[in-house]
Amino acid sequence: MHISYNWLARHVDLTGISPEELAENLTLSTAEVEEVFRFAPHLSDVVVGHVLERVPHPDADKLGVCQVDVGQGAPLNIVCGAPNVAGGQKVAVATVGTRLPGDFKIKKSKIRGVPSEGMICSVRELDLGDEHDGIWVLPDACEIGQPVAEALGVVDWVIDIDNKSLTHRPDLWGHRGMAREVAAIFQRELKPLDTSLPELGSGAAFPVTVEDNACSRYLGLAIDGAQQELSPDWLRFLLLAVGQRPLDLLVDLSNFVMLDLGQPNHAFDRSRLGAKGIVVRKARQGETMTTLDGFERKLTTDDLLITDGDRPVALAGIMGGEDSKVEGNTSQLLLEVATFHPGTIRRTSARLGLRSDSSARFEKHLDPTLPEAAAGHFARLLQSIQPGVSFPLALSDAGRWENPAKELRVRPSRIRSRLGANLADAEIVAILERLQLAPQLAGDEITVQVPAARATKDLGLEEDLVEEVGRIYRYGNVPTQNLIGEIVPPPADARRRWVRRLQDALAGGARFHENMGYSFVPDRVLQAMNIAGLPRVQVINPVAEGQAKLRRSVLPTLLEAAQTNRQRHGQVALFEVGKGYLPEAANQHGEPMEVHLLGAVLACAPNLEAAFDAGALPRLHGVARELLSGLGIALAGPEAHTDDSPFFAWAHPKKRMALRSAASGAVLGYVAALDPAVAQNLGFDGDAASDLAVFEISIDRLLEEPPEGSRYRPLPKFPEVKVDVAVLAPDALPAAEIVTSIASAGKGTVQGVELFDLYRGENLGADKRSLAFHVTLASDARTLTDKDQAKYLDRLAKTLEHQGAELRR
Amino acid sequence: MSTSEIDPEAVQAQALERIQSADTEEALRAVEREFLGKQGVVQGLLARIPSLEPSQRGAAGKQANQIKGAITQALAVREAALAHAAMDAERQALGFDPTLPPPTVERGSLHPITQVTRELEDLFASMGYHILDGPEVERDHYNFEALNIPADHPARDSQDTFYCDQEGKLVLRTHTSPVQVRAMERLQPPFRAVAPGKVFRQESTDASHEHTFHQMEGLVVGKDISVGHLIGAMKTLLAGIFGRELEVRLRPGYFPFVEPGFELDARCPFCEEGCSVCKRTTWIELLPCGLVHPEVLRAGGIDPEEWSGFAFGLGLSRLVMLRYGIDDVRHLLSGDLRFLRQF
Ligand SMILES: [Zn+2]
Repeated sequence: MHISYNWLARHVDLTGISPEELAENLTLSTAEVEEVFRFAPHLSDVVVGHVLERVPHPDADKLGVCQVDVGQGAPLNIVCGAPNVAGGQKVAVATVGTRLPGDFKIKKSKIRGVPSEGMICSVRELDLGDEHDGIWVLPDACEIGQPVAEALGVVDWVIDIDNKSLTHRPDLWGHRGMAREVAAIFQRELKPLDTSLPELGSGAAFPVTVEDNACSRYLGLAIDGAQQELSPDWLRFLLLAVGQRPLDLLVDLSNFVMLDLGQPNHAFDRSRLGAKGIVVRKARQGETMTTLDGFERKLTTDDLLITDGDRPVALAGIMGGEDSKVEGNTSQLLLEVATFHPGTIRRTSARLGLRSDSSARFEKHLDPTLPEAAAGHFARLLQSIQPGVSFPLALSDAGRWENPAKELRVRPSRIRSRLGANLADAEIVAILERLQLAPQLAGDEITVQVPAARATKDLGLEEDLVEEVGRIYRYGNVPTQNLIGEIVPPPADARRRWVRRLQDALAGGARFHENMGYSFVPDRVLQAMNIAGLPRVQVINPVAEGQAKLRRSVLPTLLEAAQTNRQRHGQVALFEVGKGYLPEAANQHGEPMEVHLLGAVLACAPNLEAAFDAGALPRLHGVARELLSGLGIALAGPEAHTDDSPFFAWAHPKKRMALRSAASGAVLGYVAALDPAVAQNLGFDGDAASDLAVFEISIDRLLEEPPEGSRYRPLPKFPEVKVDVAVLAPDALPAAEIVTSIASAGKGTVQGVELFDLYRGENLGADKRSLAFHVTLASDARTLTDKDQAKYLDRLAKTLEHQGAELRR
Repeated sequence: MSTSEIDPEAVQAQALERIQSADTEEALRAVEREFLGKQGVVQGLLARIPSLEPSQRGAAGKQANQIKGAITQALAVREAALAHAAMDAERQALGFDPTLPPPTVERGSLHPITQVTRELEDLFASMGYHILDGPEVERDHYNFEALNIPADHPARDSQDTFYCDQEGKLVLRTHTSPVQVRAMERLQPPFRAVAPGKVFRQESTDASHEHTFHQMEGLVVGKDISVGHLIGAMKTLLAGIFGRELEVRLRPGYFPFVEPGFELDARCPFCEEGCSVCKRTTWIELLPCGLVHPEVLRAGGIDPEEWSGFAFGLGLSRLVMLRYGIDDVRHLLSGDLRFLRQF
């Protein structure tokens, strides 16, 4: 909200308080000031000129050539096309070098051969209104050569206050309320303001019927004889300063009263309202109305309407209707000043996307005693400008409301302990007095009287008064205190510890980069992965089409990131620790199950080397197994992952490995290649064509594993013997079975088995392969001899033979 | 060559000369083989001894062994000299260019949010704070109602919400504050807790707005917890984050779940007289905070007459941006390796 310094000064003496000082103090005691700026600073560059004479332009009928005295040197020669410029006028002159709004710089020029040394400005050229059918004629009293701003007394500053910080303060949505705050902060008097109703005529009140509680009060003030005219300059400049475009007197006054007292109001053409008068009711199903902005609005039964008994004439508290708007020839008015239910106004304005200055105020919960003051304010201002107006009818006043003013109690001891400041009772009382809360100290309690303006929403609890005292006392005066008390280390958090170790291992030894992605997954990605049909948590109001669904797994996020990165990088190694959301496993409150997952992707340029361990899948498999075993989770030997639930529709049907815990037998995760079609659908083609693998591990499952941890094994006492073992085996014999044989043939002496070569070739025969292993043998009891080694190989050869394989010697 | 023609003294002189002129290890070995090998010259001298007069045999044997010793020693000396020369040559490092770019060994990286979150978790844990989590798909009750933000409350405006159902019962949490009431339900006062995590706002994104970002909630409940305690705790927090004491100020701020509520500003750590980070004000708006509203304590089953508390909401994403000078919030969750590998 914009607050004008000059406007504020109508309500409280600001002598000696600069706009910056005002802003600083409001920020520290009341609400956040976003910025302070000069209103129309260009008015200090434009000067008052005196048109000495105007002669027609020799070569253009519509142009005139003026001699203008600007108080310095010879009169300026200015060519001007305005029809209303005439000798003897005082005008606003932008001399050569002046910058006008829109970054328009005045230059010396020649217009149809006649030199022109400046510009005589219209209201619109100075950004002060829309009138542009002539130049702006200033009052005769203006001093020649003075800057226009000073000559007219419109040197003003605008204080821009963050609306969010006023959410709980309906009283601060007008200058009067803000002035009350300034008076309390600077300990100054609020100037009196007469808002009493002027003398009213004896006619019967205009009929008003309130049929719905969403309108708690409806005042109608009948006004006759108001003339349509432009507002006086003081009113126009104040409105302009706060960013409100002046239109005509009635509209301007309506806005002025709203911005002054914070009470919205609306003038109807009384002659266009029916005989039933005003009826306030909820809209009927299917009803429509056209608002002032020209849009037809479809209404629901939750919307509150002002009607003339038949047709809607205004969307209550939000916007007037097109049909009953005040136009040039209106001389009979009905001024509506009402109080509406905040939630109703808020819902309607939110649903229709129709926010107005009026709805913003009503949804903050306005004081129902305010309409009377606002009606009086409007009437007296109008009367002071147009003394001929009359108020022929008694005031209409309908609705059921209560004065919210109330009494509150607060313990000074509570204020001291909550603030942590040692304020004396008298200091507290003095602050509450400055806030016009009429405090009375009795014993260990203070009773305050909360005025209606602050009672609707803001002040209702003892804590609210702690805040009142604190903000005026200033939190900067509260001494810093350290928390004291026993420090108990928080209980160990197993998941956090696991996550950190997993992250460190992957980012460290494995050299992966940690990704953090959105919980949303684009439909496009889900479709490419063949998993668009799975149950998913969805938002009903996504930021963009196709962005409504939440992930069940971190893989879609990682694959999408990998694809974009692969265009730029030869290898992409990413991991992410994040949540998956499973709606089908919701708890009794409807909260979906949130599972904790670790996923990783490895994508590199297609691998042309034939080495058995060079591809993304075996490499990532190795990373996953080393990751888990490094963290003390013993894994069963490599095995195929055969889960064919719909989630795995993206995975390669064969190239998948399970990560199975040796201790519990549970599958903790899997490593997989992508189905080739899925990889292509995801865009891993062209420059991004990749050798690609992923793994995903359930952190929740890891937590259920027995806490084995890494255990120390005594170092071998006797020398280790390295034996290379080559096995010729049919393709159909899983390597795991060969490894099992290699281990078991050692009768406890095999310390390590490592595959170092895998070979297929015509010389081996069809459907056969050769696997070569480094085997480490050692005994706890003695040094192994050549004979032991030979016996070992004999035993192994026999076992392999049973498996249909052959030990190559 | 017949043995009678061999002049032992000439053999020695010739051998020593050849050794001196051998300038590689290989050449030296060749000389060694020629003179000391099984078929070598010295062997020849020894072999001819039996054919000599018995009276001459002793002297000839002695002489041959002396020659052998002299050659062996000369070989060793020359070998050592050659080794030195090789090291000297190595020390010359001809052709070595210390400015040659080394091959890249890429390290992995932890996300900057992870790094900053860990620092803060460690800092708070050291002061006895529990580190808590809460659901990201949250009930309206915890995200709004229990935090004193009923339906139609204007404060819901500033928290554009993703709704998961038409009735508005389930939302993506708009802040980490729902963990406040969840913490109160779980822990017995007095307690201290922080809750880092992902939050969501339904708003369009630009360099300073994201629909998904990270926060860290803080909550302390105890006897007579005051604004003074809040200021103290925030100073400690900022010293932990920025590595030095920063002046702070509290000013009124409105959040329905605290009363009184504040915005906490810290002196800009990047300038003395105003910079682009602090928008030339020398203050950085860092976090909303306040004393826990009595209704919120009640919603968490805690008697506000007996206990009081403070709460704060730290913008982790914003803090990460401040810490590393990141100019566009959208980089954080972009998954772009060019961004990630910088940390
Ligand atoms: Zn700065």
